[in-house]
Parts: sequence; C-alpha cells; structure tokens
Amino acid sequence: MADTPEAVQKSIRTYMFVGGVLFLGTIITVLVASVPWLDVGHHGFDVMDAILGLAIAATKASLVAAIFMHLNHEKKAIYWIFGSGFIFVIALFGLTALAKYDPIHDNFFYDGKPAPAVEK
Amino acid sequence: MEIPYVVTPRKDTGLFNSKIAIWLFLASEVMLFGGFFSAYVFLRLGADYPWPERTLPVLPGLINTFVLIGSSVTVVFAWAALKMRQWNKFRMHMTITVVCAGVFMVLKGIEYSVKFHHQAVRLHDYTVVEGHLGYEMEDGKHVLDHHGHHIEENQIRIEATGLTFSTVRFHADWVEEMITQAEHRKAKITLASDIKARTEEGSSEEVTIAKAGEPLSVELLKRVQDAHLKARAHNGALRTAALRQEWAEAKAANPGKRGWQLASNVNIDVKALEDSKRMLTEISTASFKVEPAARMDFKPRDVKEGATQSRLRDDTVIDGKMLASPMVFHNVDAIDFRHLAMKAVEKGQDPIVAIENSWLIKNDEFARKAWEWNKQEVAKLEKKLIDEYGIDEKTGKPKREPTAKERYRLGWQDLARKAESEGHGKLGAVERITEEFKGPNYEARGKETFPELSVPREEIRFASKFTPSWNTYYAIYFTITGLHGLHVIGGALVLAYYLLFGRKMYETNPEWLANRVEVGGLFWHFVDLVWIFVFPIFYLM
Repeated sequence: MADTPEAVQKSIRTYMFVGGVLFLGTIITVLVASVPWLDVGHHGFDVMDAILGLAIAATKASLVAAIFMHLNHEKKAIYWIFGSGFIFVIALFGLTALAKYDPIHDNFFYDGKPAPAVEK
Repeated sequence: MEIPYVVTPRKDTGLFNSKIAIWLFLASEVMLFGGFFSAYVFLRLGADYPWPERTLPVLPGLINTFVLIGSSVTVVFAWAALKMRQWNKFRMHMTITVVCAGVFMVLKGIEYSVKFHHQAVRLHDYTVVEGHLGYEMEDGKHVLDHHGHHIEENQIRIEATGLTFSTVRFHADWVEEMITQAEHRKAKITLASDIKARTEEGSSEEVTIAKAGEPLSVELLKRVQDAHLKARAHNGALRTAALRQEWAEAKAANPGKRGWQLASNVNIDVKALEDSKRMLTEISTASFKVEPAARMDFKPRDVKEGATQSRLRDDTVIDGKMLASPMVFHNVDAIDFRHLAMKAVEKGQDPIVAIENSWLIKNDEFARKAWEWNKQEVAKLEKKLIDEYGIDEKTGKPKREPTAKERYRLGWQDLARKAESEGHGKLGAVERITEEFKGPNYEARGKETFPELSVPREEIRFASKFTPSWNTYYAIYFTITGLHGLHVIGGALVLAYYLLFGRKMYETNPEWLANRVEVGGLFWHFVDLVWIFVFPIFYLM
C-alpha cells in the first residue's frame, strides 16, 4: 500500500496517467455517441451504443476505484464490505429483469413495433 | 479522551477506524444509487411513451464530467501532499477541488433552471409542443400577481360571480390573489349573508361572527375558522362523552356480554344533543359575492375547471362560466410527433397520415411548413445513409435508417437550422455556445425561428414544465442528479473544512489529517464514480 512518503511520491505519476485515461475515456464516450462513422450497430442510439457506453463507463469507474480509491491493494475487510454492497445492487437489477420477463404483466412494458419509414 | 485508531491500524482489521466506517458508508451508497439506476432501467423499459433519449445538452454535461474527474485527481494529489508533509501543495490541490465542486454545482444549477422555465404541452392527439410561455399583458404592461410576479399566459380564466371557501382548508395565499385580481378588475368580493353561530354552550342566542357585505379578507376567514374549529372540538368532545355514557349504560344493563355483541345497539342520540343547545354551530363554508362579475385567473394545476362551476385544490368553489383559456407560447421551440406516431402505429395507422391530420398541422401554418421541411430533411438523410451504408441484400432494406427522433421530432436545433436555411436568426459563435448552456436564444433568433402559438384549453391533454411531473424520464433524472448534487455539496463542505481548519491538526498530528483527507477523498471519488455512469446514461443514451 502506498503509505510511506516515498511510495506516495512514486504513485503521483500513476495518478496523473489515470486522470489522463479518464479524460480520454470521456471524450471517446462522447465521440462514439455523436460521430456517425464511429456509431456501432444501427443509425442512432441502440443496444450496441448502450453496451459500448456502459463498457467505457465501467472501465473508467474501475480505474477510479482501483487506483484513486486504492482498491488494487486494500485489506480484505474492505473487499468484503464493498463487495457485499455490489451483491445487493445485482439483486436489485435482477428484480427489474424478473419484472420484465414476468408473463403475467407482459403488457406493462411497451414492445410496440418501430415506426415504419416515411413513404416516398 | 483520546480517540483510538485514528492513525494506527487496529490489529483485527488492519485499518484505521474511519476507513472501515467510510467503506461501510460507501457500500450503503452503492446500494442506494444502484437502486435508483435499477429504477431507471425499470422506468425506461416500461415507458409507454417515446423515451427522450439524447435530449439533454451534452456540452454542460461533458464539462461537468471533466470538472469532476479533474477534482478526483486533485483530491488524491492533496492527500499525497499531506503524506509528503507539503502543506502548501495540499492547500493548492484542495482549493482546486473545492472550486471544481462549485463549478459543477453552478453548471447543474443553470441546467435545472432552464428546465424549470421550459414549458411542454401534450395535446389530445399526443402531439407534444415545447417552448416558452408568454406573460399576461394589459395596456402594454405586465399584469402582476399579489407577490408582484408576472403571470404566465397559461391560466384558467373564469368570470366569477361567487366564491365559497372551505373554512378549514382555504389557502391564504390564493385568497390574497383573488382579492388582488378583483381589485385589478374593479370588482368587490363581499360576504353573501350574515354568519351567525352559537358560540357558548347552552346559549339560546346566536352571535354574529361576520356581517353580510363585509369584504373578503384572510382575517375574516380566520375568524370564521376559529369559531368553526372551536365548535368542532367542543361538539366532538360532547359526542365522545355521550358515547362513553351509552357504552357504560349498555354494559351495566347486559353484564357478561362482549363489546362486539353490544356494538350494534350502542348509538348516541345526536338530535337530543342538538336540541339540548349544548352543541355549538359549525361553519364549514363561507360564501361571497363578486360584484360585478369579474374575470379571475387560476393556475391549471390548482383548479378543476367546469363550464359553470369550478373547484380549487383547497375546496374553494368558484361560481361563474369558464372563459376561453388558451395556453400561449410566445416562442415554440420544439414540435414532437413521436408519441402521436407511436400511438398511430399501435392502432395500425400510418403515422404520417396521423401527423398530417393532427390539430397542430391543421391549425398552424408554421408547424405545417416545419413538418414539410422536416420531411425533406428526412428524405435527404435516408438517401445519405443509403449512399454511405448501402442496402441489405437479404432484406432489401437500407442498412441504416433515420431514427424516430429524426423523423418525427423538430427540436430547437432543427428549427434554428430551418430558419437559418431561410436566412433568419443566424448567430455568432459565442451566442451559439451560450445556447448550449441556456437553451435557445429566442430574442436573437426571432419569431421566424421560434414563433408564437396559442393552444386552446380543450386541445390540452397534459401540460407541465420540464419538472418531475412531465414524465418518468424527468422524474428519475431529477432524482438521481439531485441526489448526486447533494453528495457534491456534502463532499465539498467536508473537504473545505479540512482546507480551512486543518492547519492546527497538521501541526500537531499530520498523519491524522492525512487519514481524514483520505476518507473525505474516498467519498469524493465515489461521487465522481457515480457521475461516470450518470453522464452517459442521461446525456448520451
């Protein structure tokens, strides 16, 4: 753990590098959402854009957690505490998925057909 | 008393205590924000209207992301500076962090303010019109309410002849507003008849609480309210005492019987109570005349309007016919047919035909022209996408097609582009960037870009500012970003405390201060981490 002044001094460059990566990641997120030739999947927003955007966000968040919050070299107790929080979050998302696929309430979600193209 | 384990780690955990505490707190925060993000997914999947994707201005969101990432770097630098015992560097980095928090909140404040002043209306055919409402004008001057504020031209207008207030529920602010409006229209609101009541137990004479002809005032209503509440409390106590006596008598007459066996026969004789003149007079309403009949305006959310009688949310009944009460946009800045198109497709209708038969297209020339312009733009875009990406050989359809948003929505940027192509409302670079933060510049772009529109009340299905009440998108947007904003404020206050009051601790126990800053910094990184997800989810998806 970067606890001694010497170790902290050595980490400064890592912090700057990670900061730079986070800035770059943000720019990439905006570019893939706004520049047509970087648009994956269909034209406009679709599930591929969602996956890509969230993947970049998750990478950035992992960097913040691992480097800035020192989770890359923490004590076991902290992994247990933080990890248990995540388990509850996943369970919550699981509940949403259950609601989505509940056959009794299938009409609750709008699954209408996409609008047809403009007639020429 | 010395606080243990603030610098040295505990043997069992290997950590100083506050670090364990902050991680426990952060774990609960993960669950809190996770719950809200889960709610976001639920609302988005379950939305029965076109989800307003990519609707927020990206530039302020992007700047705020840079600001928070930058502050995350500086807060870790501040901690590192303390570890290396460099007070001045710590001060510099922490100052930048706190300033970043301020910049973030200012930008968020501007973003919220723009939404709170931006009006939307959903018509009965599901056309959505957005824009800026006008203000009531008379003789070239703004009409002011009793607070001295301008009145938006989105009022239910009633030619009031009489008002009946609930003496318990009347809202004093609305009463003041009605008095102001009556004065403005040179009308008088006076009590319709004497209000008399028995105010003392056993008294055979009624006391006059207010006389017919007394002008309406909050003081008068409170006077009636006092008499009413006193009577209600007194009568309630009498009824309770009478009921107790009845129960006692019933139990004495039927020993051994259970309460539920006696209940149906235990009743109080209300008439006897009333005849005994022990009951006081309850005055639940007070009626007033408006002479001559005068126009009164009410906010749509406060009134349930009727042709000849309307009712406010505080149960005030307004007698009088409803007048034409259009919602007047001084500047329309978006026309959205997506919801209408979605409804048409659900019914198996052609959305284009449905749009072209909508009230807006049939009644507003600007909307008609804008729609025709948009159709041409969509056709150009379709051709461009075919030229660039080609046709799918299997299906015979273009590989990429315009989105529903491009087909059916004319946002303010589209209307500005249309007007510019016709030679109107061209702006300089600085004004354009300002628009990204503050929304469309109505004055500079003019009525050719953002015209007026009067929407008759009977065409309106639902109207709201861009607040949580408009739709579930804005509800979850304000919930998550608002909660995040509160975290920014809280975190900034803690970090500012270390900055402003940390010197003494630095001189006596610098490691303790470093640990405190580490804990505060962990919270700050978490705030940044949440925003890392908020930005793409709300601004880019």
